Amino acid sequence: MMTQSSTQSTAVPSALLKFNLRDAGTLIGLIIIVVTFSFLSPVFFTVPNLLNILQQSSINALIALGMTLVIISGGIDLSVGPTAALSAVLGATMMVAGVPVQVAIMATLGIGALCGVFSGSLIAYAGLQPFIVTLGGLSLFRAIALIYTGGNPVFGIPMEFRSIINSAVFGVPTPIVIVAVIALVLWVVMNKTPLGEYILAVGGNEEAARVAGVPVKRTKVTVYIISGTLASLASLILIGRLGAAEPTIGNLWELDAIAAAAIGGASLMGGKGSIIGTLIGAIILGALRNGLTLLNIQAFYQLLATGLIIIIAMLIDRATRGR
Amino acid sequence: MEQYRLMMRGITKTYGSAAALQEVDFMVRPGEVHALIGENGAGKSTLLNILSGVRPADSGEIHVNGQRVQMKNPLSARHAGIAMIHQELQHVPELSVAQNMFLGRPLTTMNGLFVDKRAQLARAVHILKQLDPSINPAEPIKNLKVSQQQIVEIARALLDEAKIIAMDEPTSSLTPREFERLAELIADLKSTGVSLIYVSHKMNEIFQVCDRATIMRDGRQVGVVNICDETEESIVAKMVGRKIEKLEHHSWATDRQVLQVENVARGNEIKPASFTVCAGEVLGIAGLVGAGRTELLKLIAGIDKRSAGEVRVNGKAVRNHNVSAAIRAGIGLVPEDRKKEGIIKARAVKMNMALPSMRNFTLGGVIRKAKLNHVAQEVMSDLKLRPLNIEKPIGTLSGGNQQKVIIGRWVAADAEVFLFDEPTRGIDIGAKSEIYNLIEKLAQQGKAIVVVSSEMTEILRVSDRVLVMREGKITRELHGAEITEENIASFAIKEIKEAV
Repeated sequence: MMTQSSTQSTAVPSALLKFNLRDAGTLIGLIIIVVTFSFLSPVFFTVPNLLNILQQSSINALIALGMTLVIISGGIDLSVGPTAALSAVLGATMMVAGVPVQVAIMATLGIGALCGVFSGSLIAYAGLQPFIVTLGGLSLFRAIALIYTGGNPVFGIPMEFRSIINSAVFGVPTPIVIVAVIALVLWVVMNKTPLGEYILAVGGNEEAARVAGVPVKRTKVTVYIISGTLASLASLILIGRLGAAEPTIGNLWELDAIAAAAIGGASLMGGKGSIIGTLIGAIILGALRNGLTLLNIQAFYQLLATGLIIIIAMLIDRATRGR
Repeated sequence: MEQYRLMMRGITKTYGSAAALQEVDFMVRPGEVHALIGENGAGKSTLLNILSGVRPADSGEIHVNGQRVQMKNPLSARHAGIAMIHQELQHVPELSVAQNMFLGRPLTTMNGLFVDKRAQLARAVHILKQLDPSINPAEPIKNLKVSQQQIVEIARALLDEAKIIAMDEPTSSLTPREFERLAELIADLKSTGVSLIYVSHKMNEIFQVCDRATIMRDGRQVGVVNICDETEESIVAKMVGRKIEKLEHHSWATDRQVLQVENVARGNEIKPASFTVCAGEVLGIAGLVGAGRTELLKLIAGIDKRSAGEVRVNGKAVRNHNVSAAIRAGIGLVPEDRKKEGIIKARAVKMNMALPSMRNFTLGGVIRKAKLNHVAQEVMSDLKLRPLNIEKPIGTLSGGNQQKVIIGRWVAADAEVFLFDEPTRGIDIGAKSEIYNLIEKLAQQGKAIVVVSSEMTEILRVSDRVLVMREGKITRELHGAEITEENIASFAIKEIKEAV
């Protein structure tokens, strides 16, 4: 049904309106899922469970938001999971060793940023393909994390740090607040700043962007830095909740993040994507898993549902793109 | 009935509520070269798409050799003996010439199990021998010159025993010499009874190779003429539906030097080039495709790295020569290939315009929407963007309007030097004169302007002074009365001089 309404009204109007319509479509998708599960499970549509969904979605949301910027710029970042793992184990080690929590947090984020600098520079300055570079990063960062820890988890993360992550602001768990703030900042970046316009331009037509004087290389490096930093931030949330940092965390995070971005309207060809859409996309995936778990449906079927949702979303996207 | 090879009758096609074609008749005789002419948007492409089965017509009939053809898809067109040679040649670069020729229709052995490469090669050799024996069918097609790739497309059409070959802007990337070769080939094909449909904006070509012409305007067929009865003016008048006024060239050149180019070179490709352009002056750069004109502009604009030389704007050298340095110095390039190097098609007009000057519109790192809208509105209304909608994605605009936005980009960035590379490529005749007026207006405002063009009339129309380039070198500078077609041609084309 939503496909119908958006085709008709996208015939004429401005780019801005088109963008919002795509987001509205994603939102309708979320609403359908929420309504369906509310009927099937009495627990689903309760405040604690909804907060639960948001909290469960927060890690994927953060990764996906960074991924969205990378995808809009025409790239891809497959190394987010291992980036998270590497910064988690190094950050945790620092905290365990008694480094002040604030310093450790900054350092952890810095490690993610450095991973981004590594991939971004190879892509922007050495001209390598993003898929391959970050595929290399995926193995590389994971290997460093494993070698550094000998494969063992880092235990004993101080309560001082854990209590920050596990606290709440006006009843809203901190991870949700963090995601909200990051999403807001990135929304402003994409819609109100030159950097956002540059990212869209580079992803939309790199050569034209270069001729127009857009700092193409710097823009590319920047998106990978943002992606890497957000991966670290996600890892901080995870280790804060688990109380330990395993070098194996973040397995397949990149795929969930790409899925959320794609459901939200990002085009893997670059030049197109939405912060709000990605956010809703991450929540759709979270709500789906949560609902299926509440209904006691086997994890295998959850995987099946995730796959179907992604493909259905893409089909709807294709159908509404008009002729 | 018999006298027409192709009859398209009452073809109507609408997209949404807009009629792209209304009751169009299009008839082609056997063994003739038939021009299909009209401005962009007149419906030529739609008609060709229907003819080649890419899009279905809403109503109307297509007859080939007197037989009604149901055009369901490109395959039915092929079976009817219709071949299409697109402006942008369609092939797989890494595959060989022969493989490309047999793409989608391989010769096979063992009932289709294996591709019979040897038979394909033999067949390719046989066909290419008649067209251009210098083409090696085993060579990867990407190694061929564009003109040779085009010949391969023709070979492919012959392979299908096509009796109707439609060519869409076949010379857009050919040199005049290569065009002559194509013209010979067309004459040969014609003598074997093949009918050719020739779509082009270039009047001189149409007069040289075509027998008749069907003229289209606003989705209607407005006339069928014998080329020998017409003049360029009469055809253009039919195409546009009004007279195009020919304006006299007016020079706004001052003697204040703005752009100074000194011994700018790139390896062996671009020989050291030196020239200056004054405020209000329009310098034309003429030459053949491949003479290095585009490359020279790109060196000046900092897009490609120069190996030697210096560029100065208002006496100040552009240090650390890259795109941003050139832009800061006030140099703006309006590139040749608008789609590839000009526009970000999904983004709004105003954003495309503001791209190089984004910093001027920000306060504390955030874009000031009001200021951006105001400037975009002002600049684009000045450049006569019609309709004046700065929010529309640039990709939805006509070529002429897109070009105005790209020009506006440099006006908004306060450029003093405007480099135009083929400023009216792919732009309607009607919109062309508007672009010329804009160039003149910029000159009047004291900008220093360089125009690279392959169209002689364009060079003559806009230039105060002309440089001629050949093989990466500036071979001649022409002033005032020296600026004639004959002079430009003789300094641009050494081959012709030698041939005489």
